[in-house]
Amino acid sequence: MPQMSNDPRVAASRQTAGQSVPVPQLGGTGRVADDMYLMAHNDLSGKPYLQPRALGLGLAGGLLAELMLAGRIDARPGEIVVAEGAPRVGDDLARHVLGLVLSEREPLAVAEWLLFLARTAAGDVARRLATSGYLARAGERRRWGGKRWVPVDADCAFGPLVRVRPALARSRHLTLYGACLAGLADACGLGPRMFAYAPPNATRRYLDEVVARLDPGLRYLIAQTQAAVGSAVLSQRV
Amino acid sequence: MSRTQTRGTKPSAVSRALARDRLGVPAVLGFVLAGVAPLTVAAGVIPTAYATTGLTSIPAAFLVVAVILGVFAAGYVAMARHVTNAGAIYAFVARGIGRPAGVAAALVALVAYSFLQVGLYGALGPAAASEAATHLGVHAPWWQWALGAWAVITVLGLLRVDITGWVLGVLLSAEIVVILAETLLGLARPAGDHLSFATLSPAGLTAGGFGVFGVLAVVAALGFVGFEQAPVLGEETRDATRTIPMATYLALGLIAVVYAGAAWAMATHTGDAKVVAAAAAQGPGLLFGLGGGPLPQIAPVLFVTSLFAAALAFHNSCWRYVFALGRENVLPAALGRTGANNIPKAASLTQSVTGLAVIAVYAVTGLNPMTKLFFWLGTAGGLGVAILLTVTAVAVIAFFARTPGHHGENAWRRLIAPALAAVLLAGIVVLAVQHYHTLLGVAPGDPAAWILPASYGVAATAGLGWGLILKFRRPGTYATIGLGAHAVTAHLTPATSERTPS
Repeated sequence: MPQMSNDPRVAASRQTAGQSVPVPQLGGTGRVADDMYLMAHNDLSGKPYLQPRALGLGLAGGLLAELMLAGRIDARPGEIVVAEGAPRVGDDLARHVLGLVLSEREPLAVAEWLLFLARTAAGDVARRLATSGYLARAGERRRWGGKRWVPVDADCAFGPLVRVRPALARSRHLTLYGACLAGLADACGLGPRMFAYAPPNATRRYLDEVVARLDPGLRYLIAQTQAAVGSAVLSQRV
Repeated sequence: MSRTQTRGTKPSAVSRALARDRLGVPAVLGFVLAGVAPLTVAAGVIPTAYATTGLTSIPAAFLVVAVILGVFAAGYVAMARHVTNAGAIYAFVARGIGRPAGVAAALVALVAYSFLQVGLYGALGPAAASEAATHLGVHAPWWQWALGAWAVITVLGLLRVDITGWVLGVLLSAEIVVILAETLLGLARPAGDHLSFATLSPAGLTAGGFGVFGVLAVVAALGFVGFEQAPVLGEETRDATRTIPMATYLALGLIAVVYAGAAWAMATHTGDAKVVAAAAAQGPGLLFGLGGGPLPQIAPVLFVTSLFAAALAFHNSCWRYVFALGRENVLPAALGRTGANNIPKAASLTQSVTGLAVIAVYAVTGLNPMTKLFFWLGTAGGLGVAILLTVTAVAVIAFFARTPGHHGENAWRRLIAPALAAVLLAGIVVLAVQHYHTLLGVAPGDPAAWILPASYGVAATAGLGWGLILKFRRPGTYATIGLGAHAVTAHLTPATSERTPS
């Protein structure tokens, strides 16, 4: 699992006794799953806004989206396609996910990958965020499991909700990253949370239009995430 | 981009990990039986059925209906192997017969499950009121207890504090043990020291004319409602080809034995000739009086928890339909969205509002809750499910007939069994509708005897009409009918739900 991010954005770190301690940035880590994790938890208390399985599925979608945005993989009906010879990018977790995809003998459908990655995604992404300085273990020890992950800096934890705003209402700041993040967040049930902090002229219709303009692979990934979460809700195994 | 040659020789680690997370037969069986709520039927439906219909062949009806449903299940679970959708029945109809028929089936199902869910308050209220009066000295009218139960179910629906599986499992096991104990004790002390098998004989079903059979079959079908839920978990099971059929047949067999046994014990313990009068006088006490010892104290409490579990299970069935239809945009999309914590708030509240309205009407008009709410709406729900199963059997035939190669299913599963089931179930529906006044225990021509069955005609017509409007006005939505949660992927993939063998 990831030890230390090599993302340049996290490089802004304090020098403490010769040791580099990463400091969270308002701009975030630039990684979809990280931002989704922060959106899915209270910026102060770290309490989740999603059921465990929906959170896992959403983060699984986020992890795949990171590799897609980096040009390493593409999602198609029935399989995930890996690009040959793409530059080595990403952090340890992204490389771990890519390694899993590469080591599968038979092509697996996106839906299967989402279910598989969902099992461990929440812990993996939380640890990655902790390595980047965004989360720390704090608070009372819970009855089951360890202490809760709590944001180190509430403003940085709130950042993703600002980054998705251009995807919710007409804005010239819309980026591919923001569109993808908003689409995936909505797919796993974070719509109400996003729209609670959206500009007044934000509409669901606009978000749908933004998502519809994404390229087919990302659109397919978002739709599969939404379907997987919907199925989980329907069979009451969220 | 190019496909990468993948390496490794072991069976897929991903598939193995996923298989471990999926459900086996016991989990699916538990899910199905939780919705069946055995004590609700044994103590609630059976005595009320004896009293209201005045017919004594109820034990035989359970056995015969179990066989008919077993025949139906052959085709049903075969289709479940090829169409995985958490909306199950209406998805089958949409895929087999056509999308407008699918919408009609969805609305009929919604009305039927709503009747069943709301009807349960009619038994829950009086049962809780009488327990509270006996043990706690609290005297409150039935509708206050019904409202209390309604409030708890509404809050559980909105907070998603699901009663955990093992709590339901323990209650369910206790219910079955209590019913079996009452049954054995009742059979051990038959009226006149003579063990009568008359009520178990299928001959009795038609002794009073075929209409009697239709009425009894609907009562029995009501008892089995819930057995059709296994394919809802189709996407969650370890082995879709085995788990769903096993759970369905096991549930059918178990329910048939438990209900037929309990109904037989009640008749034989009180005497075949006296059971109708005794049922009218004692209600659920007819079952509780069969055994001695602590049973008369334990059983009524379990009856209340069983009714509550059933009301919760049907509440879930109802919002599931509303939510799935919302996801398809067949109903307003807002119903298919979740609030905080992935809770389908809008869909859940819709059902709660229906429940509140019905309880209010019965409380204000002072209609008898046990017969006119629980039994009337319950049997109407049973009729609705019988209609749905009939249409589903036809859909199974059409589905396999349409696919070249028939998906490798044999003639029994894809044609003979569903055809047989369709004819038998259609016969039951027609007979029941013709003799609906007998089912309700009212005079022929009573408005209730045609209003309740007619509600399905209204729902089906509305569904067909709306399906056709969608076809011409919103073809995008029309294309997703029956896909449920997968509707969102429809315009990106061929119109099948994606599922790879694992």
